Amino acid sequence: MRALCWNGVNDLRVETVADPEILNPQDVILKVRLTTTCGSDLHLIDGLIPTMREGDVLGHEFMGEIVDVGRDVTKVKRGDRVVVPSFIACGKCWYCAHDLYSLCDTSHPKPELQEPLLGYPTAGIYAYSHAFGGYAGSHAEYVRVPFADTDCFVVPDGLPDEDALFISDAAPTGFMGADFCNIQRGDVIAVWGCGGVGLMAQQSAMILGAERVIAINQYPERLAQAEAFGATPLDFTKVDVVEALRELTGGRGPDACIDAVGMEADGTGTQHAYDRIKQALYIETDRGAALRQAMLAVRKGGTLSILGVYGVLDKFPLGLLMNKGVTVRTAQQHGQAYVPRLLDHALRGELTPAALATHRFSLEDSPAGYRMFKHKEDGCLRAVFAP
Amino acid sequence: MSTAVRQDPPGAALDASAHAAVTIDRPADDLRTLWLDPRTQARIWAHFADVTARDDGTADWIARGPAGGQYRWRTKIMATSPDDIRWASLDGADVPNTGALALRPAPGDRGTELHLDVRFDPPGGIIGKAASKLFHIVPGEIVRKALYQFRALALTGEIPTTDPQPAARQGGADR
Repeated sequence: MRALCWNGVNDLRVETVADPEILNPQDVILKVRLTTTCGSDLHLIDGLIPTMREGDVLGHEFMGEIVDVGRDVTKVKRGDRVVVPSFIACGKCWYCAHDLYSLCDTSHPKPELQEPLLGYPTAGIYAYSHAFGGYAGSHAEYVRVPFADTDCFVVPDGLPDEDALFISDAAPTGFMGADFCNIQRGDVIAVWGCGGVGLMAQQSAMILGAERVIAINQYPERLAQAEAFGATPLDFTKVDVVEALRELTGGRGPDACIDAVGMEADGTGTQHAYDRIKQALYIETDRGAALRQAMLAVRKGGTLSILGVYGVLDKFPLGLLMNKGVTVRTAQQHGQAYVPRLLDHALRGELTPAALATHRFSLEDSPAGYRMFKHKEDGCLRAVFAP
Repeated sequence: MSTAVRQDPPGAALDASAHAAVTIDRPADDLRTLWLDPRTQARIWAHFADVTARDDGTADWIARGPAGGQYRWRTKIMATSPDDIRWASLDGADVPNTGALALRPAPGDRGTELHLDVRFDPPGGIIGKAASKLFHIVPGEIVRKALYQFRALALTGEIPTTDPQPAARQGGADR
């Protein structure tokens, strides 16, 4: 089959690789219908995540049709159109039983690579380095999906592929971030980032009853999309964000702040210059401007919900969190806990993930799609590949 | 999982022991039965050795060393009780060793704690080689991964793998 392979820093090529096969009895093979870029892929492509290997097939956000089924699969069948969360979860361990699917205790084939870094291994994930399991990704004609009964969700008739696609990752990640905020009547939620995850977090906060959602970014077309979703846009290059948030909340500060930016945050001023230099020298992997701003802006006793992907960030003002009594919630997405509900929201038109699919490419043109996505050319929010 | 590779006293570089623990949400009896199933032994140690276990409690091991080396031995289960399984290599082992699995109730409703101890005692013939240098992985990793794989098998009926289909191409270098 054809697949998009990583061959080194900023070296992506579409190559012919072996077709995946059923390896374990609960596996299925999916014929990929749509697969998309994610901001976290840029960390891999830019070489900021170790344990990548030449030839790694990229892609962790996808949907498709089941074409082959392992002997112990009982709930889904050949021909089903399904969406699959990016973290692989068994559905049987203590973590899965507690809806902490991205912490699954059994789905990582190489726990020894990750345990020294984190203390305990997480769930495996498609195409996110060998320290995260080394599973082949979805930017390919076919992908192997383990634990299909837990991880494949049938897409209801009437919901287009483009909507179902982002219920693989951007939507459940964003929804989880809003869920972490424990939104109460009258709450104001500020969201840093207007990429796929940020926009989905904004829509989710509204679904969960936020009084007002404020979207922080610098790209006019992304701020326009946030505004179209009903959020109040704030351009951090034009205003003092912390001051503006204070003003917009009657001096209280947002009840919760969601960081949907992560390690490659853009910022302004000397802290940003410091972060960029350290990242360029590989002294630290993360910049973190958005996170610092969110910590300052959040109201006393508020919630900081961290969705951005981080590696090693060495300057973290912990005292700020402690003295303000801030609750920090964070995780990689526990998608399996949210997907059924999100499919319903999308079917009812309350969640509109297809708005993220601004540019479509064939698999053969996927390297060009990544270039466009990385440099945000032509207002590219997400590049979608149809193998 | 917690692990402590115990520090050998000075001058005792020719042995090594490793310990690891996991908690599995299953009754001890079920886990003990699964552990004693010869097919289980072959699967959970596959990262370290080819194991052929038999119903009589013996097992033949071929462990892989660096640069294609192999070490062979036969083990026999020496004692079992509801909360303990102990085994040891028989005479003639390339790398004499002993192992013990203890099963203890976990607090609350967490199931059963498994504590695995393995000790390698390389004979004088392998001068200057600590056990941690004998194999292609260190003893701590041998026991941690065996328990991770046992937990996966106990809970899901399978062991996670990407072999022979890792994300990368065959022979692709780490970057």
